[in-house]
Amino acid sequence: MSNIQDIILNAVPEALIEEKQKLTVTVEPKQLHPLVKALYENKDLPFDYLISLIGMDWEDKLGVIYLFSSSKDMSQEIAVITATEDRENPLLYSITDMYEAAHLNEREVYAMLGIRFINNPDMRRFLLDGDWNGYPLCKDYDADPTLNPITIANKEITDLAPRIMEDENGNLVESVANIFDEDDYIINIGPQHPSTHGVMHFRTALNGEVVKKIDVNSGYIHRGIEKMCETMTYPQILHLTDRLDYLSAGMNRHALCMCIEKAAEIEVPMRAEYIRVIMDELNRISSHLLAWAAHCNDLGATTAFVYGVREREHVLDIFDKTCGGRLIINQNVVGGVMFDIYPDFQKDVKAFIPYMREKLVEYDDFFSHNPIALNRMVNVGNMSREDAITYAVTGPAGRGSGFSCDVRIHKPYSLYEKVEFKEVIRTEGDSYARYMNRLDEIEQSLHIIEQLIDDIPEGEILAKVKPIIRLPEGQYYQSVEAGKGEFAVFIESKGDKFPYRVKFRSPSLAAVSVMPLICKDELLTDFIGIGGSMDYVIPDIDR
Amino acid sequence: MNPFFKYFSGIFTALGSLIGGLRVTWRELWRKKVTMQYPENRDTLQISDRWRSELYMPHDENNEHACTACGICMINCPNGTITVTSNMVENEEGRKKRVLDKHIWDYGMCTFCNICVITCPSDAIFFNNDFEGAMFDRSKLVHTLNKPGSKLREKKKNLPPTPLKGEKGATISPPKKQETQQGIDDKKVS
Amino acid sequence: MKQPLELTGLISNLHTFFRSNLTPFWATVIEGALVLIAVLAAYAIIALALIYIERKITAFFQSRLGPNRLGKYGWIQSVADLIKILIKEIIHINKVDKVLFYAAPFFVIVSSVLTFGIIPFGQGLQAVDFNIGIVYILAVSSIGIIGVLLAGWSSNNKYSMIGAMRSGAQFISYELSAGFALMTVVVLSGTMQVSEIVESQRYAWNVFNGHIPAMIAFVIYLISGHAETNRGPFDLPEAEGELTAGYHTEYSGLQFGFFYLAEYLNMFIIAAIATTVFLGGWMPIQVQGWDGFNQVMWYIPSYVWFFAKTGVLIFFSLWVRWSFPRLRIDLLLNLEWKYLLPINLVNIIVMVVVVLLGWTLEDLFPIFRP
Repeated sequence: MSNIQDIILNAVPEALIEEKQKLTVTVEPKQLHPLVKALYENKDLPFDYLISLIGMDWEDKLGVIYLFSSSKDMSQEIAVITATEDRENPLLYSITDMYEAAHLNEREVYAMLGIRFINNPDMRRFLLDGDWNGYPLCKDYDADPTLNPITIANKEITDLAPRIMEDENGNLVESVANIFDEDDYIINIGPQHPSTHGVMHFRTALNGEVVKKIDVNSGYIHRGIEKMCETMTYPQILHLTDRLDYLSAGMNRHALCMCIEKAAEIEVPMRAEYIRVIMDELNRISSHLLAWAAHCNDLGATTAFVYGVREREHVLDIFDKTCGGRLIINQNVVGGVMFDIYPDFQKDVKAFIPYMREKLVEYDDFFSHNPIALNRMVNVGNMSREDAITYAVTGPAGRGSGFSCDVRIHKPYSLYEKVEFKEVIRTEGDSYARYMNRLDEIEQSLHIIEQLIDDIPEGEILAKVKPIIRLPEGQYYQSVEAGKGEFAVFIESKGDKFPYRVKFRSPSLAAVSVMPLICKDELLTDFIGIGGSMDYVIPDIDR
Repeated sequence: MNPFFKYFSGIFTALGSLIGGLRVTWRELWRKKVTMQYPENRDTLQISDRWRSELYMPHDENNEHACTACGICMINCPNGTITVTSNMVENEEGRKKRVLDKHIWDYGMCTFCNICVITCPSDAIFFNNDFEGAMFDRSKLVHTLNKPGSKLREKKKNLPPTPLKGEKGATISPPKKQETQQGIDDKKVS
Repeated sequence: MKQPLELTGLISNLHTFFRSNLTPFWATVIEGALVLIAVLAAYAIIALALIYIERKITAFFQSRLGPNRLGKYGWIQSVADLIKILIKEIIHINKVDKVLFYAAPFFVIVSSVLTFGIIPFGQGLQAVDFNIGIVYILAVSSIGIIGVLLAGWSSNNKYSMIGAMRSGAQFISYELSAGFALMTVVVLSGTMQVSEIVESQRYAWNVFNGHIPAMIAFVIYLISGHAETNRGPFDLPEAEGELTAGYHTEYSGLQFGFFYLAEYLNMFIIAAIATTVFLGGWMPIQVQGWDGFNQVMWYIPSYVWFFAKTGVLIFFSLWVRWSFPRLRIDLLLNLEWKYLLPINLVNIIVMVVVVLLGWTLEDLFPIFRP
């Protein structure tokens, strides 16, 4: 790490470096861009992967925490903090010139905290309407419903993107840019559309049937979960994580539990760890099965959808018997799991493994080699490795482009160090690579479960946890590999029983942000197919 | 490969894999169907006993429950689903004691996170299996869990075995079919 | 040969009854009206039956049970759906091109009814029988596309527009293949009259009589026929996953019902024409010389034969539809212009050679000669 410290100090001598849970660097807004550039351009270990961009309100200051990692070594992470004291017109520098992933994230920070980013070419609010009053994540936000009344009036979407650019002399120039050309044929894919997998809104400019440009517009089911978390105790927050990416409910919750456990130094009993990992992998299977099913359905094979859901039902039955929930399973709690496994759990899971393997062969026969399906997927929606990294696309989609980003391998948590499994990587970067990655990961998950299912140790399922959990002051991070990619939790605590700020990294947001790039010059039909192959879940984006 | 050969081999490999796909659906045609026929299968329907449907408060044969009206479930509930109202009643020894007046649970608000059940210090509330809770009127989703005239079970008495946390409904059986039937009739009347 | 269950007797009795009791003019009018009623009734009943059958078979392919609430095994379901669609409100949309918008469904349904009329359902059960029947089929079935294009254009909806344009490209392309495939048979049987084509297949169905080229034509006709009727995997104009419902997005109530009926009927019509032209139509299976066997086969009425053969083809169409993903427009056009059409062109020449050199089964083996 000393090498990195040198690089940081070389770039910005005034930087304040602290060894916290992550190496944390605090700089002035002016120095942020040079520092990030130095980290980005570092030859040996380029910090080219933006895990999350966290807008913060420290009451005296408004700022951003950037969490970077390297595509060469994902275990290396660095947190960069910058903040401005100007609450009236907070301005920070954009890093969108290096990280494409920053685009939507910076727009979200603007919507939530009012921080505008200089040099970001499109500074519209993301997730919130352009005319929303107030900035919800600010601590002085007025939540009075009369300020933002619910209306059924028709609202026009403006195509004008305000921006603040810095010219050569260092002067800030505000301008407005048009998103679409004057005579673009714009078609609304969503918010009500059968194939957007939720209330996503893609405004798509078409040239004939060829996609020319896509404008992503989200927030139709924004629930303000991050804001809600600030008024809830830690055990209460847990049930909200299930409602982000509901297909990876168990894994999301695992991340938050681990984050709290690490901060409060709670040791989780071994039995609980086993149950957690088995449930996580079952959860991953169910998520991938639905992704497979929905992808096939997007390509027009309705029957495949039913087949995928049919197999998923077996997983859900196991969930149902274990913890009384099917989709929102509520299994993990701080210190362990809520429900012990039921007596027949091992038998049921062991029966499921060969059944699923048999069905994977069937899927192969049915769809994976179908010439129509191949034509619809091979060489369609190409995403290069560089694109995957700069857009921070992780999960099966990122690995389909050759970006080795499995959190279970690079930042092992829970039992993943003990089990043996392969990281499924393909380098083609097309829809078919993403499609096959999911099917192969199902096989890997089955393999992990096989290794664990027979030696679940006896013992407690829940560690002793104080009835009221207070986390010591500090910033805590935890990542897990969810069904769609890296899901990260950030908690800043001031020592209270409520968190000061919670941020969830949404893997789906990255998947959606890359859509305009990989769908460009593809046919409208393929746009839907590519969307299916990226497998995003909208509540995960909207939070 | 010469293009002429490639053209025809392409046709035949494509046909081959298409037939592979057709074979899968053909087999499926003759398999047993997986969908269930609800409500015809009501009697044989297997609901896992941990299934979280409706919050309920077990009452014993003396119409007594275990709720001390401490309100911990209400405090812990993340979205204000539970309202516990209590009265201060003076007992024989002249000490004031909190007595449960109403334990109100709003089915429509509940996210079934189970925090109330796991935090309850006296194991007074559990989730049951009665999943047929749909109503025509939102106000009917608000349940009062303690039965009229019920009171707190005295500690001295032999406690009936309470179910383990996390395995609710194992010993105290959920409301039976008859009750459900009656509930449906009630709905029809109103 | 005894044919107790045939309707020919009934029809000729009716005919003599009207002729003997009425002036020729009124007899023709009444007979025309009866035929019209019969055709329309058959049209509606077959559509309802098909909707039910498709839903049921689809469900079986997808490990489901399908409609099973109304009546035993849900057989009244499509009747209920019909009533629902009849009484549903037709939503009037402000910004559509009114005349074209309301006319479009009629084009579609009229084209489908006109084609329906020429199908020989059994002995004597054919409403029109031109000497250029095949050309008639090709001509009237192309009217439907006008309706689809009008619907997409007049709806003033971008999804509809894209759907309609796809439909246009698809229809024009596959019309060629379907036409050529039928022409191959015309070469083989030497007539365009539908009734004669059926009659010529007494001992050898065309698909066997013309062996290799006829089988290729048969397969190509099935593929292009399904592409013409916009059914999966060629359902690009609708593509519910992409274009919500394509060209009929804005239609509701009975107008939508017309599109819906026409779609199902077109599936039937394609199967029926394929049966008539390739599989011997209503002709029972017969072997020269086996009189006992032939007698038994003739006991089974001709319309049963017809519907059985058609049913097999419809089942095959459903099987394909629910097994494959949807094609993309460029793949669809590739399939037509790079595969089906060239193969078809060669095939028709091969057929001409086969016929001229006397290599058909009828020519080679006298047992197949009528």
